[in-house]
Amino acid sequence: MILLYDGSFEGFLSLVYEVYYEKLSVDAIVKEMPQTLLFERFHEVFTDEANARKVLEAITKHFTKEQQRTLCNIFLCDTREHEMALLEYIRIGFKNPKELRNITNANLFYIQNLEKELLSLVHKMYGFTRFEELDDGTLYAKIETKFNIMPFLGDHFAKRLGNIPFIIHDIKRSLAFIKNDEMREIRSIASFDAPIYSDEEEKFKALWKTFFKSAAVESRYNPKLQKSWVPLLYRTYMSEFE
Amino acid sequence: MKTTMQDKLSILAGSAKYDVSCSSSGSENNYKTGELGCAHNSGICHSFTSDGRCVSLLKVLLTNVCIYDCAYCINRVSNDIPRAAFSPRELADLTINFYKRNYIEGLFLSSGIIKNEDHTMSLLLQTLRILRHEYRFNGYIHVKLIPGASKELIEEATLLAHRVSSNIELPSSKSLALLAPDKTKEKLLSPLKHARDITMQRSAKPISMSTQMIIGATGESDFEILKLSSSLYQKALLKRVYYSAYIAVNNHKHLPVPELSKPPLLREHRLYQADWLLRFYGFSYDEILSENQNLDIQFDPKTFWALSNLHHFPIDVNKAPQEILVRIPGIGIRGALKILQARRFKQLCFEDLVKLKISLKKARYFIIAGKDFHRSMSLYEEKIKLALIHQGSNVIQPTLFDTSIYTGEL
Repeated sequence: MILLYDGSFEGFLSLVYEVYYEKLSVDAIVKEMPQTLLFERFHEVFTDEANARKVLEAITKHFTKEQQRTLCNIFLCDTREHEMALLEYIRIGFKNPKELRNITNANLFYIQNLEKELLSLVHKMYGFTRFEELDDGTLYAKIETKFNIMPFLGDHFAKRLGNIPFIIHDIKRSLAFIKNDEMREIRSIASFDAPIYSDEEEKFKALWKTFFKSAAVESRYNPKLQKSWVPLLYRTYMSEFE
Repeated sequence: MKTTMQDKLSILAGSAKYDVSCSSSGSENNYKTGELGCAHNSGICHSFTSDGRCVSLLKVLLTNVCIYDCAYCINRVSNDIPRAAFSPRELADLTINFYKRNYIEGLFLSSGIIKNEDHTMSLLLQTLRILRHEYRFNGYIHVKLIPGASKELIEEATLLAHRVSSNIELPSSKSLALLAPDKTKEKLLSPLKHARDITMQRSAKPISMSTQMIIGATGESDFEILKLSSSLYQKALLKRVYYSAYIAVNNHKHLPVPELSKPPLLREHRLYQADWLLRFYGFSYDEILSENQNLDIQFDPKTFWALSNLHHFPIDVNKAPQEILVRIPGIGIRGALKILQARRFKQLCFEDLVKLKISLKKARYFIIAGKDFHRSMSLYEEKIKLALIHQGSNVIQPTLFDTSIYTGEL
């Protein structure tokens, strides 16, 4: 059977509920209606808050903190197939929690690697995110990442930027982490006015580029190595690569 | 004519770039509400320059004016180069503005010797004081201890910085006397020893320290170099030794001629691999090399060790403990951990290892996994060597060295 859900975390939990209580045998989980359906049976799961909460409670009871974190992390990998593996993860966890460490199971190994991939992306973006100063002193960063890592970045920069207000803007997902005196939250933003930068912004960008150029040792020139560390994909908003 | 901030930065970053260390790791999370900056335990790289090295810290000299005349150094007094200096405030402001924009993890501050050692160290400390006390900056700071500076100043440095360092420069006293007549091994090591002793009095954990040696400017063998590193690690003196392939910047009768010499990058790479074996893989220096030997160019140090110690092999991956697993060529710490995790659930064969994304390219000659072992060949050094060469697993890619050595991590 193919299951359709709305792509939200609550939606997925509702799906888990139905799989358990309706004893569905699942062949695939999709977020959009497939164009052609041949002979597969098809079922649409509607998000149901009460069902979702029940599943969530059961998960908090049966899974360790670390395993719960894994569940949430995997769900942030929104551009990669993960629903079937995640369903399997939950099933195994309810049956025999010890078995979750068994990486000879293809699904579990897939989850472990996907989480690693997410965390390594997070780590890279801790370094490669670039803020620009706006005229009111707010720091503003644009990002485009393959996974939704906004919760990680928000926490990380809230720790280090002290009282400075900042906005991290995920361009593709139209999300923004906003932190200032009044709020600290992730919002979805429909439109965004072109920001006005502070007078000093260009000066520091120029100084940074100068530093970046001066720090390279000519006789060790190695652009291939550089590219393996900072693939072109990441360079969009890094001014030193302009 | 007044030098602009652009000129200063270009000169003083250019003079500091031969320092290898850029690591910002190993510090506790020191987050304080409302204050600027926080160190990150694993270190963070913020960019990579065109030589493939990581940029984690704003690595600059406070000034490149220097009263010393060390033969290998670009800033020596007898060189005719543009000189510049930041004021402590200028540099502190620059650090804060770079940090806010997430260009950097913090500051790596060093300096040429201006007037005398104490005066230089005081200027460095003044910069740190502005950052720590005025801006309440908690980000990472690495400061060079100026050999010959007074003990009080060294002590203050250990209170203000996350890491302090002093470069040994050359691997033996003889080479130092030849090339850096103003420095002796004792003078270079004494600030490190002092910093260790006073921080040990304050808490059980000494401040994190590192040093750097230039490789290939003088005639020491890799054995001597590793022996020295190993003794520095054992005395709990240092967290990290950096090796820097000698880049000819000056003409000097005791140094390789600049036009003819290329930095010995492969040798540097092998030394880092061997250094890793010392620090994380439980090898001792005399296991890796024997007296006056150099590291093999064709094979990495672990494979080379395995080939000359075949009586330890084959190793059973289903039984061997972690410290033995990591001695298998081609299997690292992460691979060993995966094996340990997986074998609790089933007896592992070659196919399982491949599924766990563990490369068998080198390892296959050295292991038994269930019923699997490399049948077509018995354990003879020459045969394995030939096989490894034949399959190209030893092929050295000078452009893509195992690059972890340049990052801010570890």
